[in-house]
Amino acid sequence: MSDTTTRAAPAKPNRGYGRWTPAWFLAPAVLTLLLIGIYPTLFALVTSFRRYNITRPRDGFPFIGFENYVNVLTDSTFWSSLLLTAKFYVTVLPIQVVLGLVVALLLHKPGMGMLKSLARVTLVVPLATTYAVVGLIGRLIFNRDFGVANQFLGFVGFGPIDWLSTPNGAFAAIVIMDVWQWTPFCALIFLAGLSMVPGEIEEAARLETSSKLALLRHVQLPYLLPGLTAVMILRSADVLKLFDMVFVMTRGGPGSATDLISIYIQRVGFRIFDLGTASAQAILLLILTIIISRLYIRLLYREVH
Amino acid sequence: MTFLRLDNIRKNYGDTPVIKGVSFAATKGEFVVFVGPSGCGKSTLLRMIAGLEDVSSGELYIDDRDVTYEEPAKREVSMVFQSYALYPHMSVFENMAFGLRMAKKPEAEIKAQVTEAARILQLEALLDRKPRALSGGQRQRVAIGRSIVRHPKLFLFDEPLSNLDAELRSQMRVEIAKLHRSLGATMVYVTHDQVEAMTLADRIVVLRAGLVEQIGSPTELYDNPANTFVAGFIGSPKMNFVNAKVASAAGDSLLLEHPTFAGGKLTVKTPSAARVKTGETVIVGLRPEHLSVNAATPVLSLTLDFAESLGGSTQLYARSEGEPIIALTAGRPDLKPGDVLNLGIDPRHIYLFDAAGLAL
Repeated sequence: MSDTTTRAAPAKPNRGYGRWTPAWFLAPAVLTLLLIGIYPTLFALVTSFRRYNITRPRDGFPFIGFENYVNVLTDSTFWSSLLLTAKFYVTVLPIQVVLGLVVALLLHKPGMGMLKSLARVTLVVPLATTYAVVGLIGRLIFNRDFGVANQFLGFVGFGPIDWLSTPNGAFAAIVIMDVWQWTPFCALIFLAGLSMVPGEIEEAARLETSSKLALLRHVQLPYLLPGLTAVMILRSADVLKLFDMVFVMTRGGPGSATDLISIYIQRVGFRIFDLGTASAQAILLLILTIIISRLYIRLLYREVH
Repeated sequence: MTFLRLDNIRKNYGDTPVIKGVSFAATKGEFVVFVGPSGCGKSTLLRMIAGLEDVSSGELYIDDRDVTYEEPAKREVSMVFQSYALYPHMSVFENMAFGLRMAKKPEAEIKAQVTEAARILQLEALLDRKPRALSGGQRQRVAIGRSIVRHPKLFLFDEPLSNLDAELRSQMRVEIAKLHRSLGATMVYVTHDQVEAMTLADRIVVLRAGLVEQIGSPTELYDNPANTFVAGFIGSPKMNFVNAKVASAAGDSLLLEHPTFAGGKLTVKTPSAARVKTGETVIVGLRPEHLSVNAATPVLSLTLDFAESLGGSTQLYARSEGEPIIALTAGRPDLKPGDVLNLGIDPRHIYLFDAAGLAL
C-alpha cells in the first residue's frame, strides 16, 4: 500500500478542543446554580437545625436538633396558612386548567389565522409580567374608588365592593389575579399538546363520532396528559412559593385572609428574624412540593407513542 | 342504481380552484378508483366525500341522501388513511370498537362485531396489543377492521398501501379485492399507482389538475384512452408517443412521416382519417408490450441503446428523437447496444391522437 506511506500524518484533533472543553461550557451554569440554588438550600437545611434568631446574636446559633421542626408542626398558624394555601390552590388550579383548555381548543380550531397568531402572542404577556407588577396591577383593578373591577360591577348594577379590605374580597382578588396570570400558560401548554395529535387520527375520530366532547376525551386528552402533568407540577411548586403578587396586593391581609404559607414564612424570617424556624418551614415546604410532584408524575404522566 | 353521486363538485382554497367541477356516479357495490399524479386533487375529492373537507359548490349524494353539508360521522362512511391513523393509546380491540362505542351499541354486539372482523382479517391474536407493537401490514389490517365493523354505506381508502413494502403491498391488494367481493360494499379508493387502479377497480376515474380526464373500466381505459394523458398514465411501461406529420390523407388511411418509422413513413387506417388534414401533426401511440422484435414488416427501425433484463422479459430502450422508444419483449432476445431494432406492431394496436392530444 504505497499511498499510506505518502499520506500525511493524521491531523491532530482540533486545537482548543480537549477533554475539558465541555466542562468550560458547562461551568458558568453549574457555578451559578451552585451559588444561587444549591448553596442557599443547603444553608437553609443547616440553619433549620439551629436556633438562629439574628436579633439575638449573643445567644449564638447552637444546633438544637429537630426542635424547630417540632415547633413548626405544632404551630397552628403554620397549619392554617398551609390550609389557606391549599384552598387557594384548589380554587385557582381547576379554573386555570379548564379556562386554559377552552382557550386552547378555541385557538386550535381552524380558521382566522391572523387573529389567532395575535392571540397567541398576547398570551405571553401575563406570563412575562413580574409577580410584583401583577400585584400592583391588581391593587389598581380592585381599588374601591377608581378600580376597573368596581366600574364593571357598576355597569351591571352592583354596588362598589371593598375588595381588598374584606376577607372574601381579598381572597377573590388574589385568585382572579393568579388566574389572569397563569391561564395563558395552561392554554399555551394545552395548545402545544393539541397540535401533537396527528391530523389523520383526529379525522379518523371525526368520522366515528360527531361529539366534540368524545373527541376531546378519547383522542385529544391522551396527548394533553404530559402537558397537564407539567402544569400541575409547576403550578403546585409555584403556588406553594407564591409571594410577591399577594404581598404587594394585600400583605397577607386583611387579618389573615390571604396569609399564604410563603407570606407567613417571610414574616417569621424577616419580621421576627427567627431564621431557624423559617428555614424549617421552608424545608418542609420543599419536601411537600417534591411529594406532590412525584404524585402527579405517577398518577397522570403517560407517554403517547 | 346510483349509490354515490357527485354533482359538479368544486373546491377552492381561497382563490385557487383545486377541484374544478367533478361529476360522477357509482352504483351500489362498485369499486371505484381515483387515480392521477400527485396534486391532481384525488385525495381532496375523497376527503370531500368523507366530509373532512368542505365542498365549495356542487352536491354530494350517498344512498339518495344529500350529504353535501352533513357532518362526517353522520355520513355513514369509513375511511382507511395512508398513515393508518390508529389511536395510539388504545388496543387493537379498542381501536376497532371505538366507532361502535361512540354509536352506543350494546357491549355484546360490539364484541361480536369486532371478533368477526378480527377473524376475517386474521387479527385475533393481536386484539390486546397496542398499535406501536404491530408491523405496518398488521396496522393496515386494523385500520381496515376498524372501518368494516361499523358496516358503513361507503368505504373510502386514501392511498392505503403506499407505506407498505412491495411484497406486502401486492398481498394487501389481493386482500382488499377479496374483501370487496365478500362484503359487496361500495368502495372508493385513491391511489397514484396505476397497477393498483388496474387490478382493483371496477371503474377508474382518471383525474388531472382537478378535472376528470376519463371514467371507465380498466380495460376501456387501456384500449380506448380518451387522450394522451390517460394513454400515458394507464399501462406500464408508459406508452411511446411519436409526433408524426400527415403526408397525405386518403379515404380511411393516413400516410404519416417521421424519421423513427421504418423508411420514414407509416400508413395507418382509421375511420376518423377525415378529421385530419395534410401537414397537420398526429401523435402516434405505441404500447411497449405491443411492439415485437425482429418483425417481418417492421414499423419502426431503430438502434438499440440499452437493454434491461427483467428475467422473464426484457425492456429495450431504442434511440429516437426526443424520448427513447421502449419495447417490452418476452424472453431474452440476443441483442447488443448498437444493434438495429426492427420493431413491428399489430395495426389494431396503434393509437392515434390529434395535435391537442385527444384520441382520433
